[in-house]
Amino acid sequence: MSCHLPKNKLKDRKLSEATINIALAGNPNVGKSVIFNQLTGLSQTIGNWPGKTVEKLEGYLEFLGYHFNIVDLPGIYSLSTYSLEEIVSREYIVSDNVDIIINVIDATNLERNLFFTFQLLELKVPMIIAINQMDILRKRNIELDFNQLEAIFKIPVLPVVAVHGTGVHELLEKCIELVRNTSKNPSRICKFNKTEYIFPNLSEIMSFGKEIELKIKDLILEIEHIQTNIQEHKYPFRFLAIKLLESDDEILKFFNYTEKSKPLLDKTTEFVKELEEYHGEDINSIISSEIYSNINRIVEKVVKFKTKKEMKKISLADKLDHLTTHSFWGYVVLVLVIAGIYSFTFLIGGFLGTIIDDSFSLWTENIYLLFGKENVLVKILWDGGLGGLMGAIGGVLVYVIPFFFTIELLQDSGYLPRAAFLMDRLMHILGVHGKTIITMILGFGCNVPACAGCRIMETEREKKISIALTSLVPCAAVMTVVMGLVGRYLGLEWVLILFLINFIVIIIVGKILNKTLPGSCTELIMEMHEYRKPNYKVIAKQTWVRSKEFIFKALPIIIVFGIILEILFILNILEPINVILSPITVFWLGLPALAGVFLIYGILRKELTLVLLALLSENVGLTLTGLLTPIQMVIFSLVTMLYIPCFATIIIIAKQTNWKYALQIAFLEIGIALVIGGLIHFGYILFITL
Amino acid sequence: MKIADKRKENDQTINLIKCLTECQKGEEVSVVSITAGFNARRRLYNLGIYPGSIIRKKKDAPFHGPLEIIVKGTNIVLGRGLASKILVRCSESCIFR
Repeated sequence: MSCHLPKNKLKDRKLSEATINIALAGNPNVGKSVIFNQLTGLSQTIGNWPGKTVEKLEGYLEFLGYHFNIVDLPGIYSLSTYSLEEIVSREYIVSDNVDIIINVIDATNLERNLFFTFQLLELKVPMIIAINQMDILRKRNIELDFNQLEAIFKIPVLPVVAVHGTGVHELLEKCIELVRNTSKNPSRICKFNKTEYIFPNLSEIMSFGKEIELKIKDLILEIEHIQTNIQEHKYPFRFLAIKLLESDDEILKFFNYTEKSKPLLDKTTEFVKELEEYHGEDINSIISSEIYSNINRIVEKVVKFKTKKEMKKISLADKLDHLTTHSFWGYVVLVLVIAGIYSFTFLIGGFLGTIIDDSFSLWTENIYLLFGKENVLVKILWDGGLGGLMGAIGGVLVYVIPFFFTIELLQDSGYLPRAAFLMDRLMHILGVHGKTIITMILGFGCNVPACAGCRIMETEREKKISIALTSLVPCAAVMTVVMGLVGRYLGLEWVLILFLINFIVIIIVGKILNKTLPGSCTELIMEMHEYRKPNYKVIAKQTWVRSKEFIFKALPIIIVFGIILEILFILNILEPINVILSPITVFWLGLPALAGVFLIYGILRKELTLVLLALLSENVGLTLTGLLTPIQMVIFSLVTMLYIPCFATIIIIAKQTNWKYALQIAFLEIGIALVIGGLIHFGYILFITL
Repeated sequence: MKIADKRKENDQTINLIKCLTECQKGEEVSVVSITAGFNARRRLYNLGIYPGSIIRKKKDAPFHGPLEIIVKGTNIVLGRGLASKILVRCSESCIFR
């Protein structure tokens, strides 16, 4: 698989003498992303969310005369074909795009991490092992014998504390050393020639039981026999043989096409049968337990307890873990966390928003005084363009930034898997497992990143249901509309009622999708990391990266639409749209005709419905209460809540699944909003007449 | 009397093969067999849960939810349906022994 970008190639040519291509590989949540950030400065999301790094991330760095291309591979547990990430990583590692792998290992979790290391070693690609979180291990009074580790693995093994940047650049120094040692002229800066690198013989630690090794040797001979057609795949023969035994689909495909490979495949099936009979287990289990017993032997040699006493003290992290997964307090915390996300977002956002709004209206008065209120250019540029920008900053950005901050904090500290643990049982009712609650919690802030996050779901079916449910969660923008309209004029109890309706809709949609989509719910398998002290530097950086994306991608669109809207107002084109939509808005939902166009704009950003409504009422010289009756406010808010995912969310859904499904969800939600809105409208009329 | 009763009960259950879901909190067990589907099984093997490996049950989620186990120093959450497909036996160093 040729994963490399053309940009990468250009750079190669320019600095062809001294380029080293590095891939960071390791389990999820071992600090790979932190190391990647430390090295390249190019930012990506870091968090405790299992499987967060799914995309391939690239960065560049100049160091000691060398040009480093660094790729951050997705966090995976093995090199089998359980997930797409594993296949992508495996193919990328053996490709020509990688010179050296840096395998990042979590020191506090040595055995499980080394399982992946053993699989990487089978690929026989030049490799360096970076053992991260050594500080935490040392706090537990445990030390690792690095000399011993290097003696065992015969490759560089380095301690790293990624969050502090300790040992990170030493990794690159080791890479350079490795390159120079391989070259004929070690003193000069030179290009790495992977073919000249001699991979150390590790058969002593990597060998399986005798009966399995004999079979592997036999298979290797067979593979060598037919090697012509598999040359392009670049996997070492031993790796191929092991994967054949494991009946790895992708590897089997290599051999399926020729007559020549028939004896090999027959032999494989025969061997698998023999081994399974001999051990009484299935072949994957045999190989896994062989690898783990090899690892055990190493771990016993290298782990040194400084004090004999095991730490009996219950740490704060344990206490927090107990509290947040408690059968009663856990749910209290969950509700508090969600309430906390909202209130923090609104407290900060509301405060800053008022300041910006006030200063903007002050400027506006001065501009009107200078150029006159009826000047068309002033209207278009100032009211439309800058008004849109200030509306976006004061109405959206001030909410988005604090929200991103809280989400990063939750991810970095490790709370989110606890929520999944608590909610798994309840989520099964909706046809998904607990991980969906993670994306739904994110959805409370913004549906767009939340729906993108649905890629952590293992199967297509679960991804689809999760996306549908997440897109129905009332986001911060919807919250501004509900709070600004219903909360402000009708009281908080109405807000709660609207929320209740929203959650009933989520449950119903989940149930419907659970019934209609083929397949059944898979089970939760998730690593639960220990709580750790959030790294505020990392959180601040990530908050900025996410906000930056919003500023450069969303703000221009908002400004452009502000201008367009103003032009439409001036040209009076809005009227026909309202007339066309009036059967729905006026007759069915009982809203004023002018609501139609606002609902159209709401598709772009939901809060626009309220922002524009407020703008209009100002223009007409009415307050919102004069424009809408209480029941209209309820219906208007409810429809805004449910009627369609915003444009950006629809695009993300389409990217994650397909356009058909995105449109299906959009129409489903329009239908639901119309049904419920209509029911309330006509129910209210009935109630009044009675 | 009570302790004696409990010990007697435990004596009977020591070598009994049972589901992971039936284990008590803090119980250390060794895996006997896993009857889940091919993919789930392979995932469990990768995480260190294979016949013969020692795992400890940490806690159950409320409302008959998933359970948290400790495997080779890592906390892993398993759905209840999956956990019921993992057969275990009380291990030699188990505190209930």
